[in-house]
Order: sequence, then C-alpha cells, then structure tokens
Amino acid sequence: MLPKATLPILAVAGFLFGVYSVVTGNQPPPVAPAVVEPARPPFASYIAGAGIVEARSRNIGIGTPLPGLVKSVEVKVGDRVEAGAVLFRLDDREPLAELEIRRADLLKAQAGVAEAEASLTDANTLLALADAVADERAISAEDIKRRRNAVLIAKARLETAHAQVRQAEAQLAAVQTTLDRMVVRAPIRGEVLQVNVRLGEYATTGFLSTPLVIMGDMDRLHVRVDIDENDAWRFRKDGKAYGYLRGNSQLGTELKLAYVEPYIVPKRSLTGDSTERVDTRVLQVLYSFDPAALPVFVGQQMDVFIEAPEYTGSTPNPQPGEGGGG
Amino acid sequence: MNYIALKMLMGDRGKYLGIVMGLTFASLIMTQQPAIFVGLMMRSYSFVTDVGLPDIWVMDPKVQFVDDIKPLQDTKLFRVRGVSGVDWAMPMYKGMIKARLADGTFQTCNVIGLDDATLIGGPPVMLEGRLEDLRRADSVIVDIDGARDKLARPSKDPAGKPVPLKVGDTLELNDRRAVVVGIAKTTRTFQSQPVVYTTYSRATLYAPRERKLLSFVLVKARPGQEVHALTRRIRETTGLAAYTQAEFEELTVNYFLKNTGIPINFGMSVTLGFIVGAAIAGQTFYNFTLENIRQFGVLKAMGAGNGTLLGMILLQATLVGMVGYGLGVGLTSLFGWSMRNTILAFKFPWQLLVFSGLGVTLICVFSALLSIRKVIKLEPAIVFKG
Repeated sequence: MLPKATLPILAVAGFLFGVYSVVTGNQPPPVAPAVVEPARPPFASYIAGAGIVEARSRNIGIGTPLPGLVKSVEVKVGDRVEAGAVLFRLDDREPLAELEIRRADLLKAQAGVAEAEASLTDANTLLALADAVADERAISAEDIKRRRNAVLIAKARLETAHAQVRQAEAQLAAVQTTLDRMVVRAPIRGEVLQVNVRLGEYATTGFLSTPLVIMGDMDRLHVRVDIDENDAWRFRKDGKAYGYLRGNSQLGTELKLAYVEPYIVPKRSLTGDSTERVDTRVLQVLYSFDPAALPVFVGQQMDVFIEAPEYTGSTPNPQPGEGGGG
Repeated sequence: MNYIALKMLMGDRGKYLGIVMGLTFASLIMTQQPAIFVGLMMRSYSFVTDVGLPDIWVMDPKVQFVDDIKPLQDTKLFRVRGVSGVDWAMPMYKGMIKARLADGTFQTCNVIGLDDATLIGGPPVMLEGRLEDLRRADSVIVDIDGARDKLARPSKDPAGKPVPLKVGDTLELNDRRAVVVGIAKTTRTFQSQPVVYTTYSRATLYAPRERKLLSFVLVKARPGQEVHALTRRIRETTGLAAYTQAEFEELTVNYFLKNTGIPINFGMSVTLGFIVGAAIAGQTFYNFTLENIRQFGVLKAMGAGNGTLLGMILLQATLVGMVGYGLGVGLTSLFGWSMRNTILAFKFPWQLLVFSGLGVTLICVFSALLSIRKVIKLEPAIVFKG
C-alpha cells in the first residue's frame, strides 16, 4: 500500500514547481539599450529636422570652359587656395601651335607695313622730284598727276598694312585667350574639398553629376535643414537652434540663422542617393556655425532642433517672402 | 473523526487514485492548454515586447497589428520628433524580404531596420558579435533560431544535419549582399520567420522599391511626461496612430483573437478538460461515497451529527482536490520545462494557477455536493438492512 504521504508530497512539490515556473517563466525580456544616446531636444517646444553640412559658399562644383585632356592638376584635396589660383590645366598643344602661326602672321603683317612705308617714301620722292622742276614744259601734267596718285595709293596701302597688323594682333590675342581658358582657376578663396579629375582624363564641359573639382569657403560652415512643409508655418527666424552630430549626441553646437530659402523644394537630402524617393516638400533653412566647434565634415548629417511655438499655440503672424539671399 | 475520513479515503487505493487522477487531468488540461494559448498569443506581439526601449509606437492609423505594415513618409519622423514631450523619436523599418540561401532556395525573412546612429530597437540578447557591428558595410544580425534552422546551409552529406549560419557567412537579400556579423536571441514570433536586423538605410536598400518605407516611429517620452497625454498629442498633431507599448500589444492580440480560430479551439479544449475532469472526479467521488455509505450510516447511528459528516466529506474533497491540483500544475510545469527549447509556444502566467485552482475547486464542490446530499438524506437504519 502506498504510504499516505506520497501523493500529497508529490502534489505539494508539483505546486511549488508550478509557482517556480510561473516566476521564472515570466521575467520581462531584457531590453537592448541604445548603442549611442540619441540627441535630445534642448527646448520645450521645437521643430526637428535633418540637416546636411555644407560650405558657406555652398559646395562649388568647378567646371571647365573648354573640353580637353587634363595636362596637370595643380591642387590636392584639402589645399587652401586663393581666388585665381590654378586648379588644373588642359592639353594646350593645339592652341600653342596656332599661337606660333599667329605670331608669324603678325611678323608678316609688320613686314608689310615696312614695305608699304618704303613704297610711300618712293612715291613721295618721285613726286618731290617732279614738283622741283621749274619749267612746266619739261614735265607733262599727266606725269605729275600719276606721281600724286601714286603717293595716295601708297598711303592707302600703308593703312591696309597697319590694319593687317592689328588683325594679326587680335588673332594672336584670341589664341592667347584660348590658351588662358585652358587653365582652370579658383573662383573664390577657399578649400579644395574634392578633386575628381586626374592627369590624362578628358574633362567635359557642362553640368556634371560628379564635378571635376569641388571647393568651398570653409571659414564658417552652414547646415541646410529640411523642415517638413507641414511644420513650415511654425518656423520662426528668431527661434534658437541647436545641432547635434549623428553618432554622438554630446557633440552639439548652437546654430545661427544664415538665411531661409523662400522656395519650398522636394526633399532630396538624407542619403544623397540620386534614386532617393521624393515623398514630400521641405522648407530649407540655413544655419551657420563655427567649424572649430565640432569635428564635422562637409556633407555630414546633423540632427537639428529649432525652437518653435506649440502646435496648438497662438496663430503665427505670416511672414512670407522675407528670406534673404546668403 | 478526520482520521477516520482520511482512512476511509485512502483505504480504497483504486478509488482514491481514480479521483486524484481525474482531478489531475482536469487541472493539467486547464493549465497546459491555456498556457499554450497564452504562449501563442504572446508570440503575436513578442516583437513589440522585445524592442522594449520606446514608450510609444507611432504608425499609420490603419495598422491592425504588428505585422500589418503600412509605411509612412520619411519626414513623418521629424514631425513626430517635433511634438513637445518627445524625448527622442527613431525610425524603424520592418518588412518581409526574400533571402536567397547558399543552396539556391528562398526564405522570407523579417527584416528590421534600426536607426543608423543609435541602433535603437535592437535584439534583446546578443549571443555572438555586438550590436555596434551593424555599422560595418553590408552587415546584418540574424536570430539564433533562424540561423540554426531556416537559414542554415544544407550539409554536404545528404543525410547530415544542416550547418547553422555563422558570423562571417553571407546571404543575399533582394540580390544584395549581406554579411552576418552577429547572432542574437529573440523571442519567437507568431510566424516564426528568421529575423534579420540591419540599419535603417541599409534596410531601405534591401527593401523592394516603394515610395514610402518608414514602418514605425519609436518614441520615448520625456521624463515626467505622462505617456497617454503624449500619445494623444502625437495623434492630434500628426494625424498618425500612436500607441503605448501595452496598447500596441493589446491591439495585436485583439486582432488575432478576433480574426483567427485560435481562441475557439483552445476554449473548447479547456471546456472539455473541465467537463471530463468534472465527470470522472465527480462520478468516482460519488461512487466512493456510495460504497462507504454503510460506514457513514454507522457513524450516524453512533450519534455523529450531519455537521460532522459534512466536515468529513469536505475534508476528503479538499484533500483530493489539492492533491489533484498540485499534481496537475506540476505536470504542466514539467511539460513546459521539457519543451522549453522547442518551437512550442508555452507561457505560464500566475493567472492560470488561479484559473485552474478555481476550476478544480468547482469540480470538488460539485462532487462533494452530490455526496453530501446522499449522506444527509441517509437513514442510519440502512446499516442494519440487507
């Protein structure tokens, strides 16, 4: 016969096991913490937007006025250059050859001038000889007229020769201009951000998706903030703004409004991918900051918070069209 | 008297075991079946529980449950971020993407895209690698169940076991290369698809071309901010649906309760368990009383009052009830414990302990009532008959 206590003891054990599995089986799952603390808004009421960093002058994609093979690249990425500094040169053998031809043309035209001058002197001398004869019977009137006309013709030839010299000079100058256009120079003082052209490559004119050289004025940086058009009415120019670097929300800086682009554009920043889908329109606001304040690079994204009134706050005073150019 | 009652009960071993067995099975079925049901239902929203960190989930107002993705425009993230009281708001991509495996078969995976910078919403437990490894090019993190089973490579030996996906292996997601940099432990989901974690921007590259890709915006309320007031404010200002974590879980469960046959099936099992348990235990207990009716008669003839007899029967019923209940609960726990590493959904919350306790109590009360009626009506003279 079973001892009387077996089943009750088993039952108590079973119940305790049940309680144990209830307790252990219902622990809340662990929660993965954020790898990096997210940026937190410093204001009570604000607009949030994604910003992309650019140079104060915007990022200038340098083009070339003439197409051609690249002969030399004079700058490196990161170089600070003055306005007018040479960035790269194109192959100039053809205009150089042309230059020689034009120089020879000039010499030839100049020689023509000397020749015309000599002819004029000759005609003048002959006319003077005729004029010096006192006796009218010794020389015919026709002869005198011919000598006078010869002087006039010689004068006209001299003018033609001078004109030819000027023409040759102009042609020479044109070739020199062409030569000069084969040297691409910096339009402003700034830093070279990207050099996409290399020795021996063919540089084409026109708008390129990858510009030959990108440069910009880096004394102050701008951050171009996209504000959803639905939030655009809340934007205030006097609202304070803070920007934080992605990846480390400790790195933030106060932003100063540079200008507002008063034209709403389709959103097109974020990944920068040309196939990025356009799904809304955004107001672009530019804020400037000192590049020394943050270890930031041009083209980097920032999380930006702009102080703004509450959604349900007072109706704003409309202020359209006040955006100024930068 | 109590001693006599117990002696009476345990004296007949067969009947005693019969009653206890009936109650044990009733208790077992009333805990084990609902435990599987609860487990299944919790799986429907296990993803929401796993993410854990955000207080609020923001999504399209027409979303019915967690896997019903209706993507938003990317700029909605910034609109939500601009609502006051929001501490942070992060994007999340969730979608089904076909992965091509080494042997050429396709497997639909649940791809989760986390915010690139903060990686908020990542898997709760990393078994290999670190979450930060997602910053590497083409990197993904795969859940261990998927890596071992559905994403595993077939073994070279045709009869051999498949080789689990390891760190460093590559996958093809929508024709794009993905390198496994970590293995994570996640709670199984209802559909039990492999889970692939990656960054948001990479997920948008893996995703099929769609105009909108943002599945959820995860929001943390500012300290001191009342969460329900914040969900209301988000709803009012953005026109999107905002749920607290608990509300979103409830929404998902309600969808499954309403739109699948699961609750009816399990409800029927539980009811049958109750009825069968009640029938077996009640009938056996009644039979047992009938067989011992002479003893009760003797006791009654000796002058024991109805109250005493009633107490005896109640004691007997309580004892078998407790033993059956304890054994049933123990067996359920044993079942759950032995199945802990299998695909079976099993969740044993304390409410089930109470639920089955009430069920067993009902059965015992029902059986005891039958017997008590008999004993109270009993004429002591019966002892001297036949």
